[in-house]
Amino acid sequence: MPANKSDDIRIGVFICHCGSNIAGYLDMEALGSYAESLPHVAFVQRNLYTCSEGGINEIKKAIGEKNLNRVVVASCTPRTHEPLFRSSCAEAGLNPYLFEMVNIRDQCSWVHMQEREDGTSKAKDLIRMGVAKAALLEPQNPIMSEVTPRAMIIGGGIAGMTAALALANRGYEVVVVERSDRLGGMLLNLNKLGPSMADAAELAEKTVKAVSCHPKITVFTGSSVTGVQGFIGKYSADIETPAGAKKIDLGVIIVATGARNLVPAGLFQYEGEKIVTQLELETRLKKGLASSLKDFVMIQCVGARNEERPYCSRICCQTAVKNALLIREQAPGSKVTILYRDMQMYGVENEEMFRDSKARGIRYVNYDPEKPPRVEGSSVVVYNALLGREMKLPFDLLALSTPLLSQEDSDETGKLLRVPVDENGFFLEGHVKLKPLDFATDGVFLCGSARFPANVREAVAQGLGAASRASIPLSKGSVVVEPIISVLANEDACRGCGLCVALCPYGALEIHKTEKGRKVRVIDVACKGCGVCAATCYQHALTINSFTDDQIEAQIGAFLG
Amino acid sequence: MCTGRIDPALAAKAFRKGLDGMLVVGCYFGDCHYISGNYQAKAKLDMARKLFAHIGLNPERLAFRQCSSGEASVFVKIVGEFTEKIKELGPLGAGADRFEASKLTKKMDIAEAVLAGEKIRWVIGKRTPFLQTGNMYGEIFTEHEFNRAIDMIIVEETEVQEILAGLREGAKSVKDLAASLSMPVEKVFRHILALKRRGFVALKRIAGRSPLYTLVPQEV
Ligand SMILES: Cc1cc2nc3c(=O)[nH]c(=O)nc-3n(C[C@H](O)[C@H](O)[C@H](O)COP(=O)(O)OP(=O)(O)OC[C@H]3O[C@@H](n4cnc5c(N)ncnc54)[C@H](O)[C@@H]3O)c2cc1C
Ligand code: SF4
Repeated sequence: MPANKSDDIRIGVFICHCGSNIAGYLDMEALGSYAESLPHVAFVQRNLYTCSEGGINEIKKAIGEKNLNRVVVASCTPRTHEPLFRSSCAEAGLNPYLFEMVNIRDQCSWVHMQEREDGTSKAKDLIRMGVAKAALLEPQNPIMSEVTPRAMIIGGGIAGMTAALALANRGYEVVVVERSDRLGGMLLNLNKLGPSMADAAELAEKTVKAVSCHPKITVFTGSSVTGVQGFIGKYSADIETPAGAKKIDLGVIIVATGARNLVPAGLFQYEGEKIVTQLELETRLKKGLASSLKDFVMIQCVGARNEERPYCSRICCQTAVKNALLIREQAPGSKVTILYRDMQMYGVENEEMFRDSKARGIRYVNYDPEKPPRVEGSSVVVYNALLGREMKLPFDLLALSTPLLSQEDSDETGKLLRVPVDENGFFLEGHVKLKPLDFATDGVFLCGSARFPANVREAVAQGLGAASRASIPLSKGSVVVEPIISVLANEDACRGCGLCVALCPYGALEIHKTEKGRKVRVIDVACKGCGVCAATCYQHALTINSFTDDQIEAQIGAFLG
Repeated sequence: MCTGRIDPALAAKAFRKGLDGMLVVGCYFGDCHYISGNYQAKAKLDMARKLFAHIGLNPERLAFRQCSSGEASVFVKIVGEFTEKIKELGPLGAGADRFEASKLTKKMDIAEAVLAGEKIRWVIGKRTPFLQTGNMYGEIFTEHEFNRAIDMIIVEETEVQEILAGLREGAKSVKDLAASLSMPVEKVFRHILALKRRGFVALKRIAGRSPLYTLVPQEV
């Protein structure tokens, strides 16, 4: 391993053209010769695509031939490409953490397309800063930890049950914790499921039976999780069950707590008899509609897409169209009118169901949220912009399409698991595109309406997806964790005061007794490297690998120099 | 790395090295992938701004703003506005601040020492518990009370660091220190006694009728 002595530092800088993504907007030749002038830079190369096989081979070749002990790639974003470049370094025998990435595309050429000169000079700044930091990088070793081959699924709706079956069928032990006294979730209250019109009760029963009979699955109904300790591979959960408290060791956790349906108290004179929610309409349809009902009106976006709940709940439009069709089946001569703002009917089958409903005479009237419909006795009055006047629609039954809401306690569940919820209380995935079913916290996954209102097909797909993600650490038996984490760099300085322990968002710090007294200890696998502790410790005992004060200062210094 | 990693002492260092403005952009509260790191960042930077204002650096030079990774236009607006602001303030020490450029190093050394010091970091670290569950006596602070406490600590800690900086030039009497720092003699005396008790300062000798104090070298 190269010693971190400045004369021994030999940095290779690879500057990517990214086709014309970078080269089209910045002066690449100037960047190349500039990089050559920087301290410790022993080799500079420009590549058409550094991430192509050719580019990667050039990096590997140069590490060997030019005796490089640090590599800087100036290209796109570390989010997508850092793992690739790091592993190329490792293949050439260089510790992968002696690699630094500089983003001159997303953060430079793309945003300064019209400013070639200034863009080039900013790219120079960025490269100079990256090189300055690279010179101070230290090798790191990945952290390994064993995985308990058991999964806990919180929430026994269709998403959670699907995930449970998928994992159990692969041979892993699964614990399902369901708060209510039955498995099944929202499906238990539904009638037929659009767009296929499958029977909700049948699907629920079939799945509940498979889960309950599975030898690998333990179900705790009427139970809740009251505490979670540990980290990926080594979680331990406190579960309160009707038979008393239990403590169970786990490797991974899946959140499948679903959502609840808004009860529109105070809106459109809702009373639950003649004016009902779609959910209550489902129950009526299940029992069979009274033959006296002839005129039906539905109002979409009730309590949704407003200031309080700006999001679209996605499933209520499908539900309304489905129920309108079912009404027409049960009450052939009836009239159904749907008052909508925008019809959210994504997906081929849903679109077809929508077209079909129009062909069958379901009437759609657009309304303007500025001039919302109002209930007057047994009629809805709505301003129809196409006609330019108000319409009066008498009804025997008025169905209000209300959105799915996050569970009231989702915030608490989030705190328990150290995972975030968004402003509407839905759980926030690790990354919208790259990690849709993972949390940023390793070993915790999510699926179904807990994440965002989903229909059954999506909830099932996500349940399978989350199970598949969760099975990766389970099947490997051990996990390797990023070593870019907090370290107690100066144990003597630590006074064991615990200030940092209380602030760690991941519970990754603990105080233990040593021969030198009370000291802090970093639980490697639990730490995410956010750095709050290092910025807090007044003894400056803690630091973050690859983001040390010295390295950050060197970057700032290089920027200003 | 999260905005929570930003050590306010680093900001002081950066200004000393010639930075004219520092903008920290984090995610929205409750939307942070590091859960609560951005709350920490805001608390620390708010406190650093107060300290900067106290020692004469225009606090607008340090800003904490929030936007999500999907909000390009918000980000552009934030950066644009901040750039305009810094242009308006001009280079550090050229008029928008309460000291001249020649004093920069001295002022920022003091700011860094305060920001890297135990007292300030302890109080900021305890901010959430103080506001939510109270101190060790169970007294819960209001935001207002907490801010007042911070203000007081900033004033005191700056004075302490100024005295230590003064003594770094050589042993001095309380009277001389008071004169050079334009601080009341009693105040300097009180700080000196406290520093003596904590082992940072010692009596060197008596010159004429006034005792001269000197720094005690600290182990690191
Ligand atoms: C009126 C209406 C009509 C619908 N119609 C259709 C349709 O036609 N077609 C379609 O595809 N979809 C439809 N849906 C959507 C469907 O209900 C959802 O897709 C599905 O229920 C999502 O499943 P889930 O497992 O994610 O959540 P849920 O079904 O909500 O299950 C979550 C489970 O978690 C449990 N839980 C919650 N919190 C905790 C906790 N802290 N600890 C332990 N357990 C907890 C709950 O008790 C529940 O059993 C409709 C929804 C509504 C409201
Ligand atoms: S799915 Fe339809 S009814 Fe529901 S919030 Fe979205 S647009 Fe409104």
